[in-house]
Amino acid sequence: MSLESFQVLAEPDVQRLFLRGLGTTLTLFITSSVCAYALGGVLVVFRMSGRLSSALVAAFVEYHRNVPSIVQIFVWYFGVPQLLPGPVQTWTNTHLGPFFFAVVALSLNAAAYISEDLRSGIRAVSTGQLEAARALGLGYIKAMRLVVVPQAIRGAAPALINQALGLLKATSLALAIGVNELMYVARQLDGETYATFPSYLTPTVIYLVCTLTLMFIGSRLQRAANKTR
Amino acid sequence: MKRLALTILGLLIVCSTAQADALADIKAKGVLSCGVFGDLVPLGYQDPKTRSLVGLDVDVCSAIAEDFGVKLELKTVSVDARIPSLETGRVDLMTASLAYTPVRAKQIDFSSSYMSVPVSILVKKDSGIKSFADLAGKKVSANRGSTSEVFARQKLKSSEVVTFDAGPASYLALAQDKVQGMAMVKSAGVGFHNRSGGTTEFLDEPLFMEFDCVGVKKGEPALLAAVNAALERIEASGRLAQIWERWYGQGTEYKMKREKKVTLASEFQ
Repeated sequence: MSLESFQVLAEPDVQRLFLRGLGTTLTLFITSSVCAYALGGVLVVFRMSGRLSSALVAAFVEYHRNVPSIVQIFVWYFGVPQLLPGPVQTWTNTHLGPFFFAVVALSLNAAAYISEDLRSGIRAVSTGQLEAARALGLGYIKAMRLVVVPQAIRGAAPALINQALGLLKATSLALAIGVNELMYVARQLDGETYATFPSYLTPTVIYLVCTLTLMFIGSRLQRAANKTR
Repeated sequence: MKRLALTILGLLIVCSTAQADALADIKAKGVLSCGVFGDLVPLGYQDPKTRSLVGLDVDVCSAIAEDFGVKLELKTVSVDARIPSLETGRVDLMTASLAYTPVRAKQIDFSSSYMSVPVSILVKKDSGIKSFADLAGKKVSANRGSTSEVFARQKLKSSEVVTFDAGPASYLALAQDKVQGMAMVKSAGVGFHNRSGGTTEFLDEPLFMEFDCVGVKKGEPALLAAVNAALERIEASGRLAQIWERWYGQGTEYKMKREKKVTLASEFQ
């Protein structure tokens, strides 16, 4: 490794390449996390409403927790379109690229974990809270919404922030199906210029900056949420 | 004081004689390790029946090991890990469809070429694509870190080149119509073409004519010279032609003619 290989980072083409890659990574992350948190909330509701829906959600969570994320991405991109009928498959191939399938795979995976974190957050709220709320005349849904869930989220906040960090890092798996994200462009640069160390040091630094920013935002949100006590 | 001086002198002597000589190490250990593919038919792949690594590249390395008089040890490599594997010394030689390019020659040394094949584009027959111009605005798949990626990016400027980790994934993208063309060296591309059930065809014009050589770590002139001498002997004895016949010849599904014999590095570098 020579210091002169770092000169490749000074070229505007290379800088633009990394910026494009970062843009794709962030788009992938934001889209997936919005879907994941929303779906995670929905899954928790279903988990608590009836035996059949509870079993279905449990199966969903077990699949996504036990199958490696990279396998899930391959199954969605290469496997699932094969199961679709002919004309649907053709439409899928022309209109839904690897980005779409990466978002689907990452969202579902993260949603499974998030629903588990929310569930443990809800269980951590003492049952006395729900009883007291019901005793004060609030209906079940109002009691959950106004009393239990806010406390649950406060309790689950560290775990939820963890999931966000994990999701940001998991976006790098999308390179396996050809999404132009940060690690994909880093490997492309390495292949073209053999400037291996700068090619991989740059995304390392970028990921660190992004995750530290996320942690900062997360801690600020936590502080704001705790202030309402 | 005297002991210190003697120790330093001794260390200096040892250091001055300790030069990198991979060839001597190979002969001393009695083992030659080669990097080959594990998933590219028919260059280097796992035989489903015997579960051992077989292929044209494997046979070439076998022949070199025999010429050296040592045992052969095979290690599988991925497309973009070929050059790093050589540089770190994980393998002694790289026989994994490694084509010569001037940029690569700055990182490692190349032997004489034992195979010369075109890099072509495979397309679906019903896509109506007949030339490079037809690929404008379309997607072309290639193996990450291969010459096909480099030349596809250079020559197909109006197409989007999508890279995958390995040959099978690049072909799968074409088979599932996720990309409209696959750029791959023909020696590997024919394997996929034959398995496509008649749905694919090669474009007539090749992207590039590449020379596949044995890769050697830089700074090992003795090993490089030994490999070149071995290749010449293997060619002269007709064994290289036999190896080609075994994997690409008339008795196989490919029936490809051998384009060139062993070509000296000076002729194409």
